[in-house]
Amino acid sequence: MYNEDQDLSEPERAALAALPREISPGDLLEERVVRALRSEGHFGSERGVRRSWMTASVRIAAAAALFIGGVATGRYMLAQPSERAATANVTSPANDLPAAPVDQITHSKPVKNSETVVAEREMWL
Amino acid sequence: MTVSLAVTGSDQSALVSPDLIRVSGSDSSDAALVAAAVVGGEAAFRELFRRHTPHLLQFVSRVLGQSAGDAEDVVQDTWLRAYPALVTFRNDSAFSTWLCSVGLRAALDSMRRGKRRGTELLLEDDDAPLELPHHEERMDLEKAIAALAPGYRMILVLHDVEGFTHEEIALQLGIAPGTSKAQLFKARRVMRVLLTGREKNDVQ
Repeated sequence: MYNEDQDLSEPERAALAALPREISPGDLLEERVVRALRSEGHFGSERGVRRSWMTASVRIAAAAALFIGGVATGRYMLAQPSERAATANVTSPANDLPAAPVDQITHSKPVKNSETVVAEREMWL
Repeated sequence: MTVSLAVTGSDQSALVSPDLIRVSGSDSSDAALVAAAVVGGEAAFRELFRRHTPHLLQFVSRVLGQSAGDAEDVVQDTWLRAYPALVTFRNDSAFSTWLCSVGLRAALDSMRRGKRRGTELLLEDDDAPLELPHHEERMDLEKAIAALAPGYRMILVLHDVEGFTHEEIALQLGIAPGTSKAQLFKARRVMRVLLTGREKNDVQ
């Protein structure tokens, strides 16, 4: 059915070659396509971008809080021994005062002498 | 007007940050733009879009026989299909050819949806007798192409306007190359009638 006689003539070829090759799309088509691709999760959707900014802000704030907290704790710890020493010098009892009885500190009975302890142990054995 | 990182061939899907590929101006190669767009480069995609959409729109509207305004939905569909498939693009063919093949599939799907709604058949039967139109007035070439039956129009546009071979058309449309040749033969005869304005009896 197909034969070479049906090939295009030169004027036909020329007419086909002269057909316009391009049409300018509407102004909104590009934005429509990009928006549609974004809604499918490409290029990082607007919601994703907003969320990533919020996440980054929270992370930065948390890191700053941790850093400031660390610095403050460090300063406090460094300051404590000298302050404690100063306080001790002012408020601790003088070395010449008699020591408190043991039972006043530990609330335990005074230690028995060793002979008594040994005798009691032998009774149990 | 620079591309700071040119990625070509099979390297185009390499893991590179879109920020590393600065694409600006119209002298960037399609391969570099594709590589940047694949990794999420919106600017590169927009450049590809601006570069190839005018031809794609002309091609799709010619295949559909519709005005450009009506064809824009198919062009949008084409880009939505093409973007995720950019990773599969190799430089074996020109990007515009690859994009047109995606556009052709989108146009076919659009026409099939139209067919379900009761419009014309896409491809006519090879053995069906050629029905030449009765058309007394000469018609402009663009209008004559638009007036062809969809199957004729598609093959005439692909072969005579876009320069596809019968083998490529057969591959794209899932038909035999012989069918493509037969359809083109009929399409040209009908088109000549439309262009010359001869009556039915004069040409048969």
